[in-house]
Amino acid sequence: MTALKRLMADWYRDLSEGEGPVVYLPVGGNVAELPRACGFRVFFPEVNALQCALRKVAGEFILRAEEQGYSPDVCGYVKSDMGLAASGGSGPFGTIPKPDILLCTTSGCSTTLKWFEALAGIHEAPLFVLDVPSVRDGAADPHALRYVVRQVEELASVLEKIGRRKPSRDRLAETLERSRQAEDLWMEILDSARAKPSPFDAFFEAVFFMAPITVLRGTPECVEYYRAAREEVRGRVAEPERRRIVVDGPPPWPHFRAFRDLFKRWGARCVASTYVRVGGDWDEGFRHDPSRPFESMAEFAARCYTNRSLPARRAILEREIRRFDADALVIHSVRSCRPYSVGQACLRVRDVPTLFLESDLADPRHFNEGEMRTRVDAFFEVAR
Amino acid sequence: MFVLGIDLGSRACHAVLADGEGRIAERSFLPAAADLHATARRALESFGLRRDEIQYVAATGFGRGQVRFRDLAITEITCHARAARALLPDASCVLDIGARNARAIRTCADGRTLGFRVGDRCAAGGGRLLERAARALDLPLDEIGPVSLRAQDPVAVSSVCAVLAESEIVRHVTDGRAVEDILMGLHLSVASRAAALVRQLGADGDVALTGGVARNAGMVAALERKLGLPVRTSPDSEYAGAIGAALLALKRLRILDHDPRVRLS
Ligand code: SF4
Repeated sequence: MTALKRLMADWYRDLSEGEGPVVYLPVGGNVAELPRACGFRVFFPEVNALQCALRKVAGEFILRAEEQGYSPDVCGYVKSDMGLAASGGSGPFGTIPKPDILLCTTSGCSTTLKWFEALAGIHEAPLFVLDVPSVRDGAADPHALRYVVRQVEELASVLEKIGRRKPSRDRLAETLERSRQAEDLWMEILDSARAKPSPFDAFFEAVFFMAPITVLRGTPECVEYYRAAREEVRGRVAEPERRRIVVDGPPPWPHFRAFRDLFKRWGARCVASTYVRVGGDWDEGFRHDPSRPFESMAEFAARCYTNRSLPARRAILEREIRRFDADALVIHSVRSCRPYSVGQACLRVRDVPTLFLESDLADPRHFNEGEMRTRVDAFFEVAR
Repeated sequence: MFVLGIDLGSRACHAVLADGEGRIAERSFLPAAADLHATARRALESFGLRRDEIQYVAATGFGRGQVRFRDLAITEITCHARAARALLPDASCVLDIGARNARAIRTCADGRTLGFRVGDRCAAGGGRLLERAARALDLPLDEIGPVSLRAQDPVAVSSVCAVLAESEIVRHVTDGRAVEDILMGLHLSVASRAAALVRQLGADGDVALTGGVARNAGMVAALERKLGLPVRTSPDSEYAGAIGAALLALKRLRILDHDPRVRLS
């Protein structure tokens, strides 16, 4: 088993067999460090839905949810999770524990909030909503941050009541310091794609490499994983590349291989992508900071990718194309995820050949391989 | 010397034989059967030539990967772009309405692609919808265009799906609407989806219409109305995919003659 598979398997095992209170969190802009420091086990319904999609079981769960009345237009992650709940909550990875509390941040996506409300109802557990204002074009407004910090303080006392441990200053600082270390290492790995040819694929590989920073941020295992991964990437001999692309959007998980191979055939290497930064905007310099515990968690929550305006997102794409010296942009628009896909077609960058593709991240029915291949091939034929 | 361009679509197979100057020597049309490779073979046989009498074969279309005797597979987009500039040199934008969907392509003068937009996967944006309509209204496919031109008051077709559009047809028939008004409504609905693709490319000059739908005068009228731009067709519009493939085959052959090390992909 690879180190990554082992980490993910351990995460699932600890959830189904371990002890201690459980919190459910969204991926975008979460404050995982706080519950972690209070001894909570941390679960991410989105990551679980993603795993179901990757293992090709999401399709069944989605149908199950549609039988219950969920519309074909509702996010596939949500339906996959609702279908899973309706099937007794036991998926391919064992049984997911009931939450002691659900903690939703509003900066990632408004669908997540409704999803968490539904889960709170099913599990009859309390829901804490961390309301995070939009940061629009850049640095979070100080008033907005103060507003979030106040809520994080309130959250600390709620977690203290439900959890077993008091959130001691030291333990929180330790957790944040580990987050910071993992973030530094992860950015170093992503930066290695600036080399030509790049030894690392910042999308087709990175979407897996990002798992620990998503689910284990703040743990020693997470830091260890990235330290080892950095050494492994440093030691690589890069394979030749014919095209350097930047990718915007999540992958179509149920058809990941087929999708990847469409690009591999053309020798296209992804040198930067936005999906690997949906968790946090470390590439813009953000780091968790033990000396500003609540402030840095609040800032992390606010600076999440989908909380950005479209002009800000275009600026990020332009910057990445320049910094990584890419020659094409690929936009993969997924039907499920409106916070990601609405307006995405306008993100084409002037003078950079842009390929626009559509399918889905969870629902296998929205992927048409023949159609997709024609678009990808035609795009690369142009440049031949 | 001959090169063969073969366009194996989901509904039909078009093939053309071109000489060393890129002149079309012969054309062949076959309805596509379930066995795509067999269809391609029959197209080859229809020219009365053996495979080794043809210097180069380029395949395109949905079934291009099934043409096992090909030298090269090229996407429809690249082929239609190339052919349209050969057939209708003044049009800088190509609209290819196929059976399943439509694509718009902006080209430069030598037929290379500058950018393209493909319609979504639903058949409501393609010629297949018109075929189904012809069947539902009991008309030969070739007649729906001319009939639609007589429309006084086209119906509004709003469905985003070919199957639902068919049930809309039935509703209009039972409501007693005139056949020509129903047909023009359908043409306008396909045209408005295709026009959106053209507009996304920012096209402003002549638009070349390729694919089988180009024979349909009702479609040309509907497109001009939706686009506000002149829509041009050629008697060979229907063969555009195959012609583009043949021209690109010839180009590839010339490169190979110059440099035998050029790798085929
Ligand atoms: S809409 Fe997007 S961000 Fe929201 S739950 Fe679905 S996949 Fe996640």
